Amino acid sequence: MKVLVIAATNLRRFLRDRSNIFFVFVFPILLILVLGASFGGTVVPRLGVLSHDSGELAVDLTQRLDASSDIRITTFDDRPAMVRAVERGELEAGLVIPAGFDATIRAGDIADLEFVESTGDAAMRTTVESIVTQQATVLRAAHYATSEGVAGFADGLTTAVALEPHIPEVAVTVSTSGETFALARLGQFDSSAQTQLLLFMFLTSATASAALIQTRRYGVAHRMISTPTTARTVLVGEGLGRYAVALVQGTFIMAGTWLLFGVDWGDPVGAVAVLVVFALVGSGAAMLMGALFHNDQQASGLGVLLGLGLAALGGCMVPLQVFKWISPGLYRVAHITPHAWAMEAFDHMVLDNAGLVGILPYLAILLGYAVVLYGVASWRLRRVLTH
Amino acid sequence: MRRALAIAAKDVRERIRDRSAIVVGIIAPLGLAAIFSFVFNPIQSFSFSATYAVVNQDGGPASTVFVDQVLGAMEASGAVDVVATGSVDEARRLVEEGADPFGSGEGVDGAFVFPAGFSDLVQSAQPAGFEVIINDGNGAGANVAVAMARSYASQLDSVRLAVATAEHLGDTTDRLEAGARAAAMPQPVDLVDVPAAVKQLGDTTFYAAGLAIFFLFFTVQFGVNGLLEERNNGTLSRLLVAPITRPTILVGKMLTAFLLGMVSMILLAIATTLMFGAEWGNPIGVLILIVAGVVSAMGIMAVVAGFARTAEQAGTFAGIIGVVLGFLGGTFFPIAQAGGLLATLRFLTPHAWFMQGLGDLAGGNLADIVPSVVALLLFGLVTGSVAMVRFRKGLQP
Repeated sequence: MKVLVIAATNLRRFLRDRSNIFFVFVFPILLILVLGASFGGTVVPRLGVLSHDSGELAVDLTQRLDASSDIRITTFDDRPAMVRAVERGELEAGLVIPAGFDATIRAGDIADLEFVESTGDAAMRTTVESIVTQQATVLRAAHYATSEGVAGFADGLTTAVALEPHIPEVAVTVSTSGETFALARLGQFDSSAQTQLLLFMFLTSATASAALIQTRRYGVAHRMISTPTTARTVLVGEGLGRYAVALVQGTFIMAGTWLLFGVDWGDPVGAVAVLVVFALVGSGAAMLMGALFHNDQQASGLGVLLGLGLAALGGCMVPLQVFKWISPGLYRVAHITPHAWAMEAFDHMVLDNAGLVGILPYLAILLGYAVVLYGVASWRLRRVLTH
Repeated sequence: MRRALAIAAKDVRERIRDRSAIVVGIIAPLGLAAIFSFVFNPIQSFSFSATYAVVNQDGGPASTVFVDQVLGAMEASGAVDVVATGSVDEARRLVEEGADPFGSGEGVDGAFVFPAGFSDLVQSAQPAGFEVIINDGNGAGANVAVAMARSYASQLDSVRLAVATAEHLGDTTDRLEAGARAAAMPQPVDLVDVPAAVKQLGDTTFYAAGLAIFFLFFTVQFGVNGLLEERNNGTLSRLLVAPITRPTILVGKMLTAFLLGMVSMILLAIATTLMFGAEWGNPIGVLILIVAGVVSAMGIMAVVAGFARTAEQAGTFAGIIGVVLGFLGGTFFPIAQAGGLLATLRFLTPHAWFMQGLGDLAGGNLADIVPSVVALLLFGLVTGSVAMVRFRKGLQP
């Protein structure tokens, strides 16, 4: 009973602080909205197009680029503006169609398109090149007929255009071997909701460890123990208070993003299980930090460091899949953090339709983190409180 | 001025003694920069390389040209390794293996399969095709494989159309020879690379600078909130009855904020450069931007303190304002790349101007940072004046 009173007092104390309300409820939802809206779903590279030619072939090229689903084009009237956008990374590349593009090709000469880029994006260049090659197919046939001396450019072009639909294209069959890449199948807000849920549950717990330090420093804990209350009751009550904070925030984010953005959390029972266990991990970390640090400003500073640092390492800022591509070593290091295991559990539920049973191994690992954190924290706190 | 210095010196000493300024101003940003550079460095230094398997059951000219010339050119540039593979099943196995981060490392990023008789079909203008096997887990290697295959297929289409057109118009050259000649024709349209300057920060620098300016807003708070603390502790009245003018007290507090902010920013710039290889750019430009950045942070945090009744309340509002401005200003993720409304709204924050200034400095010269510096100083001037008016009222015993 006393345990619940201590826990409830802690929760009330936490919610009374207005900045907590903002950081726990408002900010995560805003961030998920922003991240999902701007970076969610598949990222399509952006190409700026600046055309100095209004001829038929130039217009046709722009239309072909626009029709490609592999790139997103923005048209420009002003070269410096386009170059600036490329330099600042707002576009992956820019394409300049020169004046006289149409006339040059019709005269049988080679027209130069300027490809402006700063980062060397191989995929973007290949895409643009293949679209240019496609358009060039009929032009090339006309050039060839001219060079063979069997017709003029205009006749060659007419014949090529007439023949083109009758020659079947060389087909490229793309087949997939093994399981497919995860992010491609996630909804727009799914990835940001999962990562921010974990990031914020842990971050809030870590920074809220300041409250535990206040309890210690203001002598509240000692006074509680001097009443007929055992150190164990105080410890469990404080732990439960931290746990309630993490759980309230997690539930709010999970339910909120599901209702507001239709985020797919996978199997409901499994998702709630991850939430419940990860809240244990977060509050365990809070207890440990509360036991180790000396003043609340230190705890909040280091809390931010740990909260954001572990999240970055655990795949909450860059997807674990990307770690997998670029560096297997980094991928392995990521799994030191509880975040990575929780992410794996979400991935299995959302992408492979795993249920509670399928994610049991991950839950067990997360539970292991919680047991160790709570164990060390209560051993340390018991010493601090009873001496 | 000597008295103001004395006030500032006492405040700075106090902050260093309780370690709070060191944690917020140095340890937290530096620790995060360390983790971020550990995570993001491999991504930044990642350069494209891939291994492809080829199953060539055809052996005719159409497949040989792809293997020798298209793949061969990339192999010669060092970006691509090619493995000849006997069977389609073996190729599939290698592709799957290549997507496994715990795999043996002998996997490939994609496989090209040319069926028997492919070249004959291509030459006879019959329906023809070849296969690319990928796994999405192979990432860029898979995308490039598909793009290369598609690009080669359209080249073949183009040759087929050229030969057919000439034939239709009465050309009698042998098809194999005609194909070779048509393939050798230059493209009527050429892509010419025009390299642009890189006016954006590398990942390591981006995070080092982003974290520094983000935490700066919390570091200057230690000075700016000093007046509120003095009032809470009852020491403000004592200061006011001492033979010190009110502006002197204000200057002392502002000096504390300025000193803490400058020291933290400069130390962070030096430390991230030495430890993680961050490239902040021309030191003079960086110093100018840092001074302007500290001024803007002081102004904004002073307004917060001016409107707050207690140090605690100021801390609450400052936390919210600091975090929101930091995120909107693109210190944690490059919000400029998000485009749209957010990319424009970010210029309402000093953070965005600071980051933009550093980016312009990286790809240009000192003159390029003028707009950013002016914007930052304006932020500081406008908010600072509002704060001074509030403080003057608040400086009553």
